[in-house]
Amino acid sequence: MSKFRSNVKPTLAIGAALGAVLFTTIGGGPVFAEELPAGFKAGELAPAPPADMIEAGKRVYFTKCVWCHGVDGAGDGPGADRLWPRPRNFNQGTFKIRHTASGELPLFNYNERAPDSGKNDLFDTVTHGLPGSAMPPWEGILSEEQRVQVLSFVTTQLVKDRKFTDKQESQTILQMGSIKPVEANEESLKKGATLIVDKKCIECHGVEGRGDGNAFNLKDDWGFSIQPANWHKCWNFRGSRQDPYNVRNIFRTFSTGVNGTPMPSFADNTTVEERWDIANFVNSLCERDGDGKPLGIDPQTDKPKINFVVPSAPIEGEISNDPENEMWKKIGRRYIAMGGQITHKPRNFVNRIDDIWVKSLYNEKNVVYLIQWDDRTKSVAEGKLPWAPTQVNVENFGVKEQAPKTGEEGSIASAQNNYAVYNDGIAFQFPIKWQEIPAPFKPRYLWGDAKFNADILKWEADGSLRSFKGTGWDQDFEERDDFEEKAKLLKAEWKNGQWTVMISRPLKGDKDDYDEYTRFDVGKYIPMVFFAWDGHNGDAGRKMAVSAFYYTILQPPIPQEVYIYPAVIAVGVVLLEGWMLTRRANKKKGKVL
Amino acid sequence: MKALMSVGALIGVVGLLMLIGMIFGVIPSNTVRLVEGYMPMQVLSELAIFVAGFAGLSYLLNSMGVAFPRFWQGILFWVFIQTYLKFRIYPPIPFSVRAMYGTVSFVAVFMWVSANEEDWKKFRQPILNVLDANTGFHKALRTMYLILLPLLIGGFSFLSMKPSVDEPIELRTVHPAPPASTKVHGKTYTLQTSQNPYRVNPEGKYDQEYSNKLIVEQSMGRLMAPNANPWDDKAQGYLKYVREGGEIFFQNCHFCHGDNLNGRGLHAFAFNPIPANFTDPGTIAQLQETFIFWRVAKGGIGLPTEGFPWASVMPPWEQHLTTDEIWKVILFEYWHTGYYPRTWD
Repeated sequence: MSKFRSNVKPTLAIGAALGAVLFTTIGGGPVFAEELPAGFKAGELAPAPPADMIEAGKRVYFTKCVWCHGVDGAGDGPGADRLWPRPRNFNQGTFKIRHTASGELPLFNYNERAPDSGKNDLFDTVTHGLPGSAMPPWEGILSEEQRVQVLSFVTTQLVKDRKFTDKQESQTILQMGSIKPVEANEESLKKGATLIVDKKCIECHGVEGRGDGNAFNLKDDWGFSIQPANWHKCWNFRGSRQDPYNVRNIFRTFSTGVNGTPMPSFADNTTVEERWDIANFVNSLCERDGDGKPLGIDPQTDKPKINFVVPSAPIEGEISNDPENEMWKKIGRRYIAMGGQITHKPRNFVNRIDDIWVKSLYNEKNVVYLIQWDDRTKSVAEGKLPWAPTQVNVENFGVKEQAPKTGEEGSIASAQNNYAVYNDGIAFQFPIKWQEIPAPFKPRYLWGDAKFNADILKWEADGSLRSFKGTGWDQDFEERDDFEEKAKLLKAEWKNGQWTVMISRPLKGDKDDYDEYTRFDVGKYIPMVFFAWDGHNGDAGRKMAVSAFYYTILQPPIPQEVYIYPAVIAVGVVLLEGWMLTRRANKKKGKVL
Repeated sequence: MKALMSVGALIGVVGLLMLIGMIFGVIPSNTVRLVEGYMPMQVLSELAIFVAGFAGLSYLLNSMGVAFPRFWQGILFWVFIQTYLKFRIYPPIPFSVRAMYGTVSFVAVFMWVSANEEDWKKFRQPILNVLDANTGFHKALRTMYLILLPLLIGGFSFLSMKPSVDEPIELRTVHPAPPASTKVHGKTYTLQTSQNPYRVNPEGKYDQEYSNKLIVEQSMGRLMAPNANPWDDKAQGYLKYVREGGEIFFQNCHFCHGDNLNGRGLHAFAFNPIPANFTDPGTIAQLQETFIFWRVAKGGIGLPTEGFPWASVMPPWEQHLTTDEIWKVILFEYWHTGYYPRTWD
C-alpha cells in the first residue's frame, strides 16, 4: 500500500499514487510516519481547558443540552427515547465527524474559534449541527465563547472512558488545508463510479447510492439500528456542515470514517486521488435541478427551497407511462417536503420519508401525477391486513405511537426495523368542492372535515389504488368503487431504493358537476396535500408522513391575447413618443399647442 | 470635513462591493448576518449607513472634479434600493410588496431631485438634451430610446400577461383574538382570570415577580440565571416545575418548535405555516399565559378562520397532555426564552 510521508510537500503529494511510491523509495522522514495513511499527519494533543471555562460550560449544558443528552451525558435526556438517531452518548468519547483517523478522539481546542478551520471538529459540529438529526446549528444562538465553554465541559466531564489530554491518545490529522482536490471532470467521475463498486461502498449504500443496501442489519456501537447515508440527499449528511454540495465534506468523512458506526475509514486502502474520485462521484449523485446546478438550499432550514405550486403541463393525446419518455423528461419536477404526522395519535416522530418529487401532465380527459421518492425498503404486508382499507383508526391493531419515557430498551431507536411490516403507500387529496371555497379557505389538510370533504386517492404497495372520500382526521374513509375504475395506476415500481408511482385520474366525475369528485378546471389553483407511508417504519393509518398544503394547477395553453395586447401597447408607446417629440419641438419654436 | 467624507465614501464603496459580492455569490450571503427579531432595525441602519456612504462618495467625487450628474444619482439610488430589497433581505419579500417600496422610494427620490428649482433643472437637463438632440451623440441616444422603449414596454407586458404559476400569497393572522373562555378536559377556564398554577413562590402562592427572577438571562445564548438550575437535585417548586415542563417539551414540542424554541425543529421545514418561534419578541413575549394555554390546548384545528385552522399542524394538545402538563410546558417556554408573560393590567 502506498503511504505518504509526513514531510512530503503537499504540492507534490497531490500527484497521488505514483508520486507516493516515488517518495517512499527515496526515503527519509520520521519512522512512525510510515504507518500514517495517505493525507494524514501526526498532530499534538490540545491543552486542557481551564477550570473556569468548564464551569461556565456547565451552565450552557444545563440550559441547552441536558434535555436530549442527559444529566451524565449518556444520551438519555428526557427527549432521547422519541429520537432516532438517538442523541449522542458522550461517555465513550465516540464522535462521528472528525479530521482525525478512525477510532481517535475528534479535534477540540478551546483556543481555536474560527469556524470551519479544520482544527476544531467538535466546535464545527456544535456550530453547524448535524443535519438529518435533531441536533440543530447553534451558531447565532450560542456565542463562540459559549460554544467553546460547553465543549470544555462535555469533553472533560461527560466523556468518561477516555481523556482528551491522555498521553495514550494520538491525533492523526487529515491535512485538508494542504491536500489539493481533484477536479470533478468526467474522468474522475468515471473512476469514482468504478471505485464505489470495487471498494464495496454499494454493499451498504446501494447500487444507486440511495442507502438501500444491507438496510436491516447495520447497528451502531450501542446496538441501535442505523441506516447508510442516502447520497442523493446531501443536505441530510451529518457532516455536511451546512454546505451540502461541498465535496470536501464527503472527502473528509470518507477519509476518517464515522466513529461508532459501521462506516469505516478508507484512508488505509485508497490513495488520496481515489478518495477524491469517490467523493466527486458521490457528490455528483446529490439531487440537482434541471440544468445540473445544485438545488437552492434554504438557509433557515438547511433543506432545498420549497415552491408550493405543482404545475401540470398540457399535452395532446395519450400520456406515456414511462418516466423516461420525452414528454416527462422535458417538464420540471417539484420538491415536496414531508414531515411526520405529529398532530393526532398515533403520532409519527420518526418519518423515514422526508421528501418526494412530483411531476404532472394532463390531457383533455385525465391528469397524471408522477411521484418518486426514496425508500430504503420495499414493504408489502404479509397476508391480509387486519383492518379494512377504509379504516383510519388503527391504534387497536398495534399501530401505536412511541411512548415518551421507555429507557433505551423500549426507545424508538431500538424499535427501528423491529416493527410489523405494513404496506408502503402514497396518497394525495384535493378538496371536493374547492370551487365553492374562496382562497385561502381549505378543507383541513388531514383528510378534510365534516363541512368540506376531501377527494383522496391512495396507492398501496400491494398494488391497490383506491378512491376515498375523507370527512375528518378521525373519520373512516368512504370508498368509491365507481371512481376506482376510472383512476388508473400507470406504474408502480421499486428499484434500488426508489419508488416510482404514476397515477392517472379523470379531470372530473361522470357528470359535469363537482358534488362527488374534484373537478379540475384549467388555470385554477387547487389545494393539494400529499401523504406517504413507509411499511418498514410501521407506518399505517395516521402514522405516516405528511406535506403542507401545496397547490396544483393545470397550466392553460397560452391564449392569443397574450401576443396581441403587448403589440398594441408597443404601438401606443410609439404614438406617445411622436406626440412628445412634436410638442417639444413646437415649444422650442415658441408655439403653444 | 474631507477626511470625514473620505471615510463615508470608503464605507459606501465597501458596502456596495459587499452587496454585489453577495448577489453574485462571491461573498457568502451570511457574512453580515440578519439577526432574527432585530432585522427591521438592522435593515434601517444598514440603509442609513449606505446613504451616508453615498453622500461621502458624492462629495469626494465633486472635490476631485468628477461631478456625478444629479440625474444619474437619482436613478442609481433608486436602483440600489430595489437591489438591496431583492437580494439582501431573507426570507425574500414578495414582488407586490417590493413594488410598493419601489413606488415609495421613487416618490422620495423625485422629491429629493426636485427639492428646489436649481436641482430640478439639473435633474431634467439630461432628459431635455436627449429630447432636443442637438449633438450627434444625443441624436443617436434619442433614436435608440425611440426604438428600445416600445420594445421594452411591449416585452414587459408580454411577460406579465403570460400565464404564470407563481405561489399565491395568503396572509394569515398569527395571533387571532382569543375567546373569553375555553373548556379543557371538562373544566372551563376564563382567560381573563385564570393563572398558571405552577408559577408559584416557595409559599405556594401565584407570584410572577418571584418566577421572573429565576428565568434565563436575556443576553446572548439566553443562559439560566446562576444558582437557578432546574436540574439541581435540590430544585423545588417553580424550578422543579420548569424541569418537568422541559421534559414534556422535549418529548413532544421540539419536533417542530426546535431545541432552542426558535421554530426550527426536525419537522419544521415541511410545514406551512411554519412553527412559532418563541424566542422572537413578537410571539409569547407579547401574549398572556392564558392565551398560550388556549392555543396549546386547542391547537391548529381550534383556531378561528383568520388563523388558517385547516393548514396548521399544531396538535390540539388536550388530546395528548393533561391540563397540568400543558401549564408546565408553558412555564418552561417562558423560562427558557427569558420572557415574562404579559399580564392583563
